[in-house]
Amino acid sequence: MNANNHLKIKKKIKRFFITLLILFVVFVDIYPLFWMITASLKQPSEFVTKAAYALNSGFYFQNYIDAWTKGNMSLFFRNSLMNTCVSIVFITMITVTMSFALVKMDWKLRKIADQYIAFGIMVPFTTAMIPLFQIFSKMHLIDTRTCLILIYVSTSVSFSVFLTSGYMRSLSDEILEAAVIDGCGIHGLLFRIVIPLIKNAIITNVVIQFFFKWNDLLAAMTFVSSKRLKTVQTGLLYFTDEFGTKNWGAIFASVSICVIPMLIMYLFLNKRVIEGMTAGATKG
Amino acid sequence: MKKVLGNKKAIALYMVPGLLLYTCFLIVPVIWSFYYTVFDGSPGIKWQFCGLDNYIKLFTDKQFMQALIVNCKYIVIVMTGQILLGLAMALMFHFWLRHCKSLVRTIVFFPVVLPVVAVAQLFTKIYEVQPYYGLLNSVLANIGLEKHVQAWLGQKSTALGSLSAMDIWTSIGFYAIIFYGALLDVSQDVVEAARIDGARSFQLFRYILLPLIRPIMVVCLVFSFTGTVKMFDSALALTGGGPSGATKSLSLYMYSVAFTYSKVGYASIIAIVVFLICVVGSFFIKKLDRDVTC
Amino acid sequence: MKKKSVSVLLCISMIAVMLAGCGNSAAAPEAAPAEKTETAVEATADTAEATEETAASAESRTIKILSMWPEDDAATTANGSIITAMCEQYKAEVDPNFTWEFEYVDSDNLKTKVQTLAASDDLPDIFAYDAGTPLVDLIDADLVLDVTKALTDEGVYDKLDNGATTYLAALTGTEDIYDLPLGLNIEGFWYNKALFEQAGIKEAPATWDEMLADADKLLAAGIQPFATGAGDSWPATRLIHAYAIRSMGKDCMQAAADGTEAYNSAGFVEAAQTIQDMNQKGYFGVGATTVDQNTAADMVLAGEAAMIYNGSWYTSALNADTNPAGADGIGFFNIPTVAGGKGAATEYAMNCGTILCMNKSSYDDTMAAFLKYFVSNVGDYSMNNFGALKGYVIENYPADMSNYTKLVAEEMEKVTGSANWFEALMNGELSTIAQENVQSLMNGDMTAQEYCDAMQECYEATR
Repeated sequence: MNANNHLKIKKKIKRFFITLLILFVVFVDIYPLFWMITASLKQPSEFVTKAAYALNSGFYFQNYIDAWTKGNMSLFFRNSLMNTCVSIVFITMITVTMSFALVKMDWKLRKIADQYIAFGIMVPFTTAMIPLFQIFSKMHLIDTRTCLILIYVSTSVSFSVFLTSGYMRSLSDEILEAAVIDGCGIHGLLFRIVIPLIKNAIITNVVIQFFFKWNDLLAAMTFVSSKRLKTVQTGLLYFTDEFGTKNWGAIFASVSICVIPMLIMYLFLNKRVIEGMTAGATKG
Repeated sequence: MKKVLGNKKAIALYMVPGLLLYTCFLIVPVIWSFYYTVFDGSPGIKWQFCGLDNYIKLFTDKQFMQALIVNCKYIVIVMTGQILLGLAMALMFHFWLRHCKSLVRTIVFFPVVLPVVAVAQLFTKIYEVQPYYGLLNSVLANIGLEKHVQAWLGQKSTALGSLSAMDIWTSIGFYAIIFYGALLDVSQDVVEAARIDGARSFQLFRYILLPLIRPIMVVCLVFSFTGTVKMFDSALALTGGGPSGATKSLSLYMYSVAFTYSKVGYASIIAIVVFLICVVGSFFIKKLDRDVTC
Repeated sequence: MKKKSVSVLLCISMIAVMLAGCGNSAAAPEAAPAEKTETAVEATADTAEATEETAASAESRTIKILSMWPEDDAATTANGSIITAMCEQYKAEVDPNFTWEFEYVDSDNLKTKVQTLAASDDLPDIFAYDAGTPLVDLIDADLVLDVTKALTDEGVYDKLDNGATTYLAALTGTEDIYDLPLGLNIEGFWYNKALFEQAGIKEAPATWDEMLADADKLLAAGIQPFATGAGDSWPATRLIHAYAIRSMGKDCMQAAADGTEAYNSAGFVEAAQTIQDMNQKGYFGVGATTVDQNTAADMVLAGEAAMIYNGSWYTSALNADTNPAGADGIGFFNIPTVAGGKGAATEYAMNCGTILCMNKSSYDDTMAAFLKYFVSNVGDYSMNNFGALKGYVIENYPADMSNYTKLVAEEMEKVTGSANWFEALMNGELSTIAQENVQSLMNGDMTAQEYCDAMQECYEATR
């Protein structure tokens, strides 16, 4: 009886520490972001008078207005959105058609083409960057949206084809056969049968490509230099010049503006994001 | 059936645009960079053939060696952090977490999707010391550790560590979730059986779980390795490679050689070195795994 | 039917991407219907180019300006606002058909951008660039206009301040000048008068030792003696330079660049050592190597630090209504002399900031007329509106000059000799080494000797 009680207490204590540990891990993950949001709502004087971890005493939205207008976040935001969305449209078109041709269609060089595409996953963008810069500068495309979009599309072909092919392979051939027997042409087969069936894979790919493109820094900072074309990432990189490092409120507000869309999107689509991002690793 | 799926026109239509983009803007440039390595200067300005001079220079360039060492240190620190902590986290969730599994999973993964620049700006503020104490220093100062208040990003001794901490923070969720997924696939019966046989927690992990999740482990190692070799975004955004090159990676060095010093040829060699380290490194990790299993 | 249209649409839009890739305007009309959102960007870019080309054939073409200052820039140098105002005035007063295109690139991207444009023979008509070695490369490649010659032809060369032209010519090592100044700054120490008083300091120090003694007094009074934006690196190397030109004379950097004086000679090591010691004693506060110069400058205004080494561009921040130190709260003293040093108290570290260059190949009558107007009016305009000296002869001084503007003008009168700045004559690699390592030097991660050795080594390797 006594021993049993003792064991129970021991178990409870263990349970308590485990919960504490898990809470701690979650806290470490979430607290910096929480801090960022509270700091973005502080008045300038609060940074001087109070410790950095203190909560905001009011809601000072002027920071956001400053970031959006003076900090040019509205412009950067528009640029990022434009680049990301346009390239995703193309990535999706190319990915779907290519993975369909590579997996389900019947042609001689298919295997080679497949390997050729897969090779791209290994290539770091930095290696291609210097010649690309020369190529685009010869084409007078440096510092245009077009060149960024071209880069975004061509560098994501490998990964997204790889991702979509996996789903494409699991599609049973019988369905396709049945459709063909019903008199479906090749384009009809792709658009009316295959695409609806791998809808989820496409959405997953779109979501993770959105994150990749939105978060891109290297290409955007190398190939675009005009202010009017800057994306959120490149804008954010140098924006302390605009405010000076002293204006913490506006800086935090700008960072929050950059993070909040991700946060919202992630909250709605977290299953797909996690699935998509880890699929690349686990299937590889 | 065969006729429809063998439609040559359709194949061309589906394949050619993507292949063309992929070839022109990824594969050709990679091959092209090999050609660049035998030139000095930058195309258009002072561009001349220089034979193997760039290759020779590579072995005597102190800055390159420094960048290589920094890069290697970073790989070791961040890889260890990502894999070990990721695995620990996954084990913790798998065996200890009873409630709110999906909520915790969502929260833990969240930093992974954040833009690196935003995270870096955030961490700059966390590490800040002048004009005001940032989060870290302010906490230290208030729990009686004033003597540890320091410019985390402004001195050689702490800059790389601070950078690595940030990168581990952002990416650990990714590895935790992958390992967690792998652990879920391990059959519960095997674990139970081992428990009944009297296996202690560590033994269970070492002899049962670890061999079962080995394939995933290898994948994670390769992923983590190729990710850390490319070290660029976070270092640029947090420290810009400083102080005194303490966080200057190969890619950052390459970037300044190409775009600040205008030595495109030499920069191409560094880019190729990064590429080769990626390929050779991942090959060895995979091979190591095969040797162990055999 | 429907099937077909889908595939056609797909096909067309894919071709559109290819075309967008080629950027070939000839093929654009065919693909036009398909490119709605995706190539709209490209299309506007193309039309912009096209209108320029047609405009070029008309009497007055569009002048392209590449600036590293935003159009409405009123903060640091006001140069963006000044250029824009000049264009607007020119259009209003002289040529109603005048059109211009203002493009803004931030300073980090300026060099790459100009080099790219230069390589593809696409330089804008007027562009901002770094004075010194970078400009020499463009002169060698015969890409920039000989300004002396052009302005002499227009009869307005005398509108340029004599000091400024001598200075610019010396920087490029040429007889003629190839750039226009957009600032003529003197550098030195600025101090918060209230804090000096608080620490019982009566007057500004004249020697380096006095300055350090004052710093001790400030420290004792609980005030941070100096602020410096060592996070940006250049403010820290400027301090080394300041000491070096006083101890070794104003031509020491030239001597080092020529190879007659080593970067690791005793004089430079001493200068580096001095800065390191200053930081080790806590004069710059904790973590000075992580602060940027704007913040440091604000700290002095706000009374959080007493002194800062800065250029006279500081006046625009000082003149601002938001300056917490008020209209007379900040004083200036030139770099104090070093005991036994070769530098004189009336020699100043000067710089011309980022300069403006003109594309040689696109220089024509339109440009000449505009250039003439610009040179004749920019000096008075900047003085009257921003109280800033830009390196041009000023005909009408404003009646109500602010204290700070007067202060700078008075100091300018005293100049008997000038030095540039630390990295002015260094190439890219060397200036990177000098700037990157300076933070380690200050922290003590690197000794003064090591710091200087690294520079000399790099100098020898890249000469």
